[in-house]
Amino acid sequence: MSDNTHQNPQPVPFRGGGFRPQRIRGVGLAVFILLIAFVEWGTRVGFISNLTLPRPSAVFATFQDLIETGMLWKHLLPSLSRLAVGAALGVTVGVGVGVLIGLFSLIRAGLVPLVAALFPIPKIALLPLFVIWFGIDEGSKYALIALGTFTPTVVATYGAVDNVDRTLIRMGQSFGLGWFSIVRKIVLPGALPGILSGLRVSIAIGIILLVAAEMLGAQYGIGAYILEAGSLYDLERLFAGVVILSGLGVLTSGLIGWIERRVLAWRV
Amino acid sequence: MTDISRRGALGLLGGAAALPMLGSPAFANTKVTVGALNFTSHAASFVAFERGYFAEAGLDVEFKFFQAAQPMAVAIASGDADYAVTSITGGLISLAEKGATKVIGGALTEEKGIDGQKILVSDAAYQAGVTTPKALDGKKFGITQAGSSFHYMGAKIAQAEGIALEFTPLQKVGAVIGALKSGQIDAWSIVPHIAKPLAGSGAVHIIGNVADYIPNYQVTTVFTSANNAANERAKTEAFLKAFSKGAADFNAALVDKTTGEADAEDMIKLIHKYVYADKPYDKAKPGIVNGAMRINEGAALNTTSVQDQLDWFKSEGLVKDSVTMDMLVDSSYVQTM
Amino acid sequence: MQLTLDAVSHRYADVTVLSDISLTIPEGQIVCIVGPSGCGKSTLLRFLGGLERPDQGQVLQNGPVPQGCLNPLTYVFQDFALLPWRDVAGNVSLVLEDHGIRGTKAAAVIDDVLARTKLSDFRAALPKQLSGGMKQRVAIARALAVNPAVMLMDEPLSALDAQTRELLMDDLIALWTRAPFTAVYVTHNLSEAVRLGHKIVVLSRRPGTIREIVEIDIPLTERHAGDPVLETHQARLWQLMREEAEAADKELGHV
Repeated sequence: MSDNTHQNPQPVPFRGGGFRPQRIRGVGLAVFILLIAFVEWGTRVGFISNLTLPRPSAVFATFQDLIETGMLWKHLLPSLSRLAVGAALGVTVGVGVGVLIGLFSLIRAGLVPLVAALFPIPKIALLPLFVIWFGIDEGSKYALIALGTFTPTVVATYGAVDNVDRTLIRMGQSFGLGWFSIVRKIVLPGALPGILSGLRVSIAIGIILLVAAEMLGAQYGIGAYILEAGSLYDLERLFAGVVILSGLGVLTSGLIGWIERRVLAWRV
Repeated sequence: MTDISRRGALGLLGGAAALPMLGSPAFANTKVTVGALNFTSHAASFVAFERGYFAEAGLDVEFKFFQAAQPMAVAIASGDADYAVTSITGGLISLAEKGATKVIGGALTEEKGIDGQKILVSDAAYQAGVTTPKALDGKKFGITQAGSSFHYMGAKIAQAEGIALEFTPLQKVGAVIGALKSGQIDAWSIVPHIAKPLAGSGAVHIIGNVADYIPNYQVTTVFTSANNAANERAKTEAFLKAFSKGAADFNAALVDKTTGEADAEDMIKLIHKYVYADKPYDKAKPGIVNGAMRINEGAALNTTSVQDQLDWFKSEGLVKDSVTMDMLVDSSYVQTM
Repeated sequence: MQLTLDAVSHRYADVTVLSDISLTIPEGQIVCIVGPSGCGKSTLLRFLGGLERPDQGQVLQNGPVPQGCLNPLTYVFQDFALLPWRDVAGNVSLVLEDHGIRGTKAAAVIDDVLARTKLSDFRAALPKQLSGGMKQRVAIARALAVNPAVMLMDEPLSALDAQTRELLMDDLIALWTRAPFTAVYVTHNLSEAVRLGHKIVVLSRRPGTIREIVEIDIPLTERHAGDPVLETHQARLWQLMREEAEAADKELGHV
């Protein structure tokens, strides 16, 4: 045997595989479908009781009813307008304050502790207060979502401004660019990736707060629909509502992704 | 704390119904968890406990306190509580439809001549001329949640008056009170022991009685898990018997007032251990006396009222059309009216 | 315009980085500054362009700026400092906009400098699409666009590979030959220094002082890689620097 080894060259054993994430299509979808099929089967056979989980096909039927009766829009439109107005307010003010914090040391010293103090407050706790301040109608709902999206936007924005490549700012100064030009042409575009990724978090928080905002005084809205389903222990409607919220999350995330691809095409 | 094995029982609910009866009538010191709110309307349970009626019946009762009616229904379904007394809500009906809960008796009833639930309006609305329920057309009526008893009462009032109300869900009784006081909502209906002190403060006004719109309204019912109702007959009967004794004592002392001042005083002191316990006795007393509404003799159940409530929930699309009285009520335990 | 450093010293916290530097950069010449790492070459360049102020001594500018000069003291950075979200033309136009040069006037300037740096075909390319050498050519084009009196070049070729560096040196020489400019060129690469420098200033290790100034009087166009005279200069410079570099290396190990 040992004599033969000289005549029989062996291939070098390959030791380099694995540890490399690969993109495999369709598996995510398959997991989803399998899980739903499993629940459907479990609820039909009866080993998942109808108290534990609703039957997926029943959720689907509830969803269809929602569309056919037009109730989907009756619930979705108020929620979307609350999310749009609230988040637009919170994000606009948040980006503005975040940029100011990023640019001026005095404002940073004054506002960063305030923002840090506001951030961990569960905004839901302030809802009764907002009802007194802004009224039980749309005002308090806008305010809740605005405050909820404001704090993460501020933190993301000033972080993004801080992270703008200093050599670019140095370059601007060395070419004699004015302060305002540097902010507009270097700082803001440079901070945009960070601001947009902060926006993903902010909008997701806005969707979460939608349910909270619709706790007080909302007859229509996805959040009100979910709360109602919960109090009626109507699991089909509860899940249909949750699916709508998830869909909303996927949709807004996709929208931001699309904006990123368009506006941030320059990124490596 | 929670009896873990009951939780497990929930998952096996469907199968459990098919099992042979396991409950044996010979029992002593059977552990039983009773869900309750710290309201005078739950007094029958408190009396039965304090005066030893539960112990006599061989039940070792432990109270589990809740903040609202709907969570109690869920606790019964999950096996965290065995028996509870609360109003008929959409949640309770949905759970009954899923075979988890059953109404087995009646408790609080609206009765002409006994002070019952009041219709309240905010001061702002009152000053603007809303002095009768008829004038509530288009106004904001506070409810805790869709399908709560407040929702039912408001709807029945609106129906009777031929007006439209805008129902405003606020989740908690405390939030409704706050919104009513600050004029964020215009009207509400609530039991007298909450209504009267509020009206006394001048921030709200009483403009009517619920009893005028919903006569013989079965406000609260006794309910339990479907498993208890079907398979733990002896235990359930024992509970209802002790509960009825407590109810009889309560009615005699505070509603019919047939047993004299001293007994009434004793009764108030007993209830004070559970209701307004954070207030001194003198301040708590009027609230307890004001809240004294009749608890049905023998936990009798007014099925006509229950049927009406069920029909309303169905007509509003709050519960499935397929729910029947048989799914909701097990009428084999008490007298029905 | 000529620049003069007059007895400049500087400290960062309690470390003296530069000590008593006096130097004149004559008009129309490229002055290379070489020295071991940490000797304060880049700090010196920041003083020259007014991005930082020395603790002691003065930096003086003397003489008129060239006609149409927008930014007399203009840097070229080691890492190019291009705005990644602007294309090649946009990066050049950035430094014109603030001086009110827009539209056709700006287009003319941009066309001119891109032609001079052989970038005309890449007007609309984004920095991420360009190689390192191309990026530095864009940075040089941008510097040329403001028609500077003095170019302050901070290791402009250090981030590039050897072949690209050779090509860019040829480009710089061609640019200078067409229109001689004044430049201060900081590098740690001695072959760059002997190819591009009319004057080579050798700094000692920290605290940086001027050890020697070497003048090379061969015209830039006649200098080629492998030229024996340049090799001799380079060997001599290495002699001067070797000890300093070794000492500096050990010093850094202590920090």
